[in-house]
Amino acid sequence: MSRTETPAGPTQVLPAPVRPPKRTHSPAERKLRRSGWLMVLPALLHIGLWTAIPVVATFALGFTDYNVFSPPRWIGLDNYVEIVQDPVFRKATWNTIQYTFWTVPVSMFIALVIAVALNQGLRLQKWYRTAFFLPQVTATVAIAMVWLWIFNPQQGLLNAFLGVFGIPGQAWLADPDWALWSVILVGAWQGIGIKMLIYIAALQNVDESLYEAASVDGASTVRKFFAITVPMLKPATFFVLVISIINAFQVFDQIYVLTDGGPANATTMMTYEVYRSAFEEFRMGMASAQSVVLFFFLLFMTLVGRRATREDS
Amino acid sequence: MALLTPAITPADDVRPAGPPPRKHRPVARTRNKVLLHVALMLGAVTMIIPFVWMIFTSVKSPAELAQYPPTFFPQEWHWSNYADALDAAPFGLYFRNSFIIATGHTLITLVVGSMAGYALARIRFRGREIVFLTLVAMLMIPTYTKIVPQFLIVKFMPLFGGNDILGQGGTGWLNTWWALIIPGGLSATSIFLFRQFYLSLPKELEEAARLDGLGEFRIFLQIYTPLIKPAIATVGLLTFQESWNNFLWPLLVTTTENLRVIQVGLAVFQQLDNTSWHYLMAGTTLATVPMVVLFVAAQKYFIQGFTSSGIK
Repeated sequence: MSRTETPAGPTQVLPAPVRPPKRTHSPAERKLRRSGWLMVLPALLHIGLWTAIPVVATFALGFTDYNVFSPPRWIGLDNYVEIVQDPVFRKATWNTIQYTFWTVPVSMFIALVIAVALNQGLRLQKWYRTAFFLPQVTATVAIAMVWLWIFNPQQGLLNAFLGVFGIPGQAWLADPDWALWSVILVGAWQGIGIKMLIYIAALQNVDESLYEAASVDGASTVRKFFAITVPMLKPATFFVLVISIINAFQVFDQIYVLTDGGPANATTMMTYEVYRSAFEEFRMGMASAQSVVLFFFLLFMTLVGRRATREDS
Repeated sequence: MALLTPAITPADDVRPAGPPPRKHRPVARTRNKVLLHVALMLGAVTMIIPFVWMIFTSVKSPAELAQYPPTFFPQEWHWSNYADALDAAPFGLYFRNSFIIATGHTLITLVVGSMAGYALARIRFRGREIVFLTLVAMLMIPTYTKIVPQFLIVKFMPLFGGNDILGQGGTGWLNTWWALIIPGGLSATSIFLFRQFYLSLPKELEEAARLDGLGEFRIFLQIYTPLIKPAIATVGLLTFQESWNNFLWPLLVTTTENLRVIQVGLAVFQQLDNTSWHYLMAGTTLATVPMVVLFVAAQKYFIQGFTSSGIK
């Protein structure tokens, strides 16, 4: 990844609008190009060593059996065959998809409604914005600790709150039927802020006169929302969708704290299986193969998201 | 999680303050506003309550915590819980470690990232496009697609931690500051952000400076960088926040207590002692408060950063 050669001699500088494309370079220009490389080099070495090489290595290690202590052994597609047959990984994949569905499109819609509400020029709107965004800036682990306590069946806030309305409490995180929903609730609660924020920024670019024209035509608030706001925000929606999918697919911290993947794998995720394979079972090859699967899922979802939000614009 | 529908109902029970309405519309509008406020207030409270509950729990006595049904407001405020929590687990040490690492990451990002961003934005050199495209590709790489080899690189780092030149025999960078600070010190995202900021500046400055014979490094440092101070604040704050909140990487590369960061410290404490909720919530408050304060104080920069990068 690290190319250190200093370009010397005549070169076709890429699309250079001002200068003529070919000529002998003055010492000043050669110096300029050398400084360009010098300034980019430390970053390039870092990204090369800690991102580019690892990505390539992940794909390669996916074809091996490797436990760190003895050299990797090439086993072709065996890891992938095992993944396909592994009910736990299948469960993890399904959980990840469910988690993503509820914390991405559903949360996006809620975030959009909040953003529109916060775009009405209300008093206190800055305070609301801060409140909605606060969970996003705090650490997921710390926040998950608080939720662990909120979900506590005996002393937790949630059951106490429900008790006020006569609703029976649940063993949220210990109940296989409720655990995934509990994790989804935390994910949605934490992730709404960023989605809202991007929508607020995008809303500021929507032309006011569209709404005025619609009002003249007698369109209702709801109608205006679906006929103007939603279509005008398509590019923002695409952006939010992609980054949210990437984040949701990598959910890990709250699983680690809240449920450890349980009960009975009810909340295990693809990332959690990667973690288990690599750092509990020391199956580095298997973990790499699983993360390759994760990668392709992510790629696929991003492309689907792109289609869904870009189709008819 | 409040779903708001600003409904327009003919009911007329909300009497707005202010001048008497002349037509029907302003009444409906004011009523909508009130409804909107109520809905937003409910949503905002949902967001804030866990933080309040965290702080309230951290000052309750064990006896109060054991009560059923649980109390919301503390009956007595035991601020001494914080001092006791620091004795129960070295949260102070964890806090310090997190602070050192977050500062290290921020400094590396600001120096190396801004330099690269500048070069990519403002200097024409051969291979620039390839470097930039590589960077964009790296932006999309999820953490989990690199975490295993990153761990292996740390473990087999040659000539460290008893390793020979081939990286065999020792523990490499595991359980060292190197592993905590270097790999997470720079992200493709920050370089990308810096490039965008430098690109937004006018070109005349560099041309004039180059004609005056100023070295490229001085143009970067003395002419362009002072112009992007808000951007530096943005990237710096985001880096600090992300680093402070990071959990997985420090969990993987450290096992010793004196290198433990606060997020890992919380998780370990909870696993060892899952009944002392007042101490755990005190520790959680310590882990949370710096970011909340930083965010409230520098909201403008955070928001700019989050909306342009969308990172978390």
